[in-house]
Amino acid sequence: MTPTWIFDVLAAVMVAVAVVSAARLAAARPWRRGPAILGPAILGADAAHLLMAIAMAGMLAPRLRTLPDTGWEVVFGVLIAWFAFWVARDARESGARALAADHCGAPHLVHSGSMLYMFLATTSAAGMAGMAGMNELPGSSGSTMLTLDYPTLAFAFALILIGYSLWDLDQLSGRRYGLAGARVSLAGIGATNLPALTGAESVTAVPGSDGSDGSGANGGDAVREILLSPAVKVGCRVAMGAVMAFIMLIAI
Amino acid sequence: MSEVAVAGGRTALRGGLGPRPAVARLDTRRALQLGLAGIWLLDGVLQYQPFMYTTGFGHLLAATAAGNPSVIARPITWDATLVEHHLVLLNTIFATVQLLLGLGIAFRPTVRLALGASIAWSLGVWWFGEGLGGVLSGTADPLSGAPGAVILYALLAVLLWPADRPAGAAPFIAARAVGAHLARALWAVLWLSLAYFALLPANRAPQALNGMLTGMEVAQPAWLAAIESDAASLVAHQGLAASIVLAVACVLAAVGVYLPRRAAAAALVLAVVLAAVIWVVGEALGMILASGATDPNSGPLLALLALAYWPASTAPTPQAATPATPAPPADAAGNAAGNAADATGSPA
Repeated sequence: MTPTWIFDVLAAVMVAVAVVSAARLAAARPWRRGPAILGPAILGADAAHLLMAIAMAGMLAPRLRTLPDTGWEVVFGVLIAWFAFWVARDARESGARALAADHCGAPHLVHSGSMLYMFLATTSAAGMAGMAGMNELPGSSGSTMLTLDYPTLAFAFALILIGYSLWDLDQLSGRRYGLAGARVSLAGIGATNLPALTGAESVTAVPGSDGSDGSGANGGDAVREILLSPAVKVGCRVAMGAVMAFIMLIAI
Repeated sequence: MSEVAVAGGRTALRGGLGPRPAVARLDTRRALQLGLAGIWLLDGVLQYQPFMYTTGFGHLLAATAAGNPSVIARPITWDATLVEHHLVLLNTIFATVQLLLGLGIAFRPTVRLALGASIAWSLGVWWFGEGLGGVLSGTADPLSGAPGAVILYALLAVLLWPADRPAGAAPFIAARAVGAHLARALWAVLWLSLAYFALLPANRAPQALNGMLTGMEVAQPAWLAAIESDAASLVAHQGLAASIVLAVACVLAAVGVYLPRRAAAAALVLAVVLAAVIWVVGEALGMILASGATDPNSGPLLALLALAYWPASTAPTPQAATPATPAPPADAAGNAAGNAADATGSPA
């Protein structure tokens, strides 16, 4: 059996992703925003990362389990519908390029689909009393052996997830995504703060937009800027995609 | 800090269709490198499977010693015993190394380091993990991964090395690092060896192929088991004929890279088709769907290799090339900056 500690390490990575995603959401101050915050690359991406990371941490380490499977199936069903809407909308404008673009939610759609598949296709070969149907991986503490129905689908999902992760890693190292946020001025509606606007540019404080004098970034602003940078978001996505592919392949 | 102005504000308000990030340039060689990285990553994750943490993995390694000369076999047996005694530690190291090789190739600043390490790792695994692919034991079979899938990783790492030879144009990607002559020779040696292995007595026996394919059906999804079953029926008692057909196809693929552009492209299509048949029928997708696969096997690597030899649209054919009129590099159009970045291994 695969050693439990490997799953624990991966669960810790997922917890870290969840913490970072939660911090990004908090730093973005969504309660101050209008409709702009509702796009797939703004609130959606970090919220999806947060939910997926929590769900996967529970799969990898049973003691980190939060919701029952049905709850997660509903959550990811909603996320699929949400991201599918944005991908379809972007596909109308960009065609097939929408599938490779990260600002419209295509990677998140694949991630959400993978998560839903994992929860729906779970087969526990040796379910535990009172916990039947709960997802656990082979070797993880709790000793329920998880396998996935329709292994071909699991393999296909794993290949796509690996592809997206490698693409992201290549683009990350190719400096497509920076650690510094881009300063955005929204002409006509005034300057504002938005996190990771399009996946490429996070938006930092613009003088006067939040009551500050804009005389210079302090340490907190710098941390916030890094936290809200596209590189951090894409880093989270790479980690999630890789771990998701890992779970799929291990459970085939 | 860069500054981006979004005129009108509508873009941001639409919530996601804002200014597009500039995509870091991806030339053909980089794309193939990412393909290789993906296969390494898949390989690494498969190594973490529960089966690999059982004594079955040690037995798998030990079995590759059979039929090899003792100078080759003895270290394999020693290695297999060592792995069985320190299964968790060593298998985790193996898996992690392979995972890091994949990630390292995908991460631009470490691409050279990872490709170099992958060559050394592949050669080690070819010996200690695959028994040199059965090449010396007479059991190598192109339909089951000969000459050893892992040696193809090394070959790809060499051919996709991020460097460009200074002299003239490269007619295809694989020629950029080692030159067209050596690249073609490597391709020809590989595919001619596959043709030779296909005709080995063990592989051309009347029921050899049928028996192998029948054994592949076990624990596979229904659709793949059906393919294996149908293929097994097709070649029942036809081992010699099937071997000859396969050998002829391999020879055609081997010589194809020496032909003019159109014929070379046709031969490469044949090679990709052969790779697909080998992967789906002969290797049952590397047995990944049946669990217990250590790697995706040779099919995807053969296809990736074929793509590395795809003739560039503007490159000269071997017959047409003259030193006086050098053609542009393989994927020169619009890719000059990226080629330079590749050559240095630096980000584009």
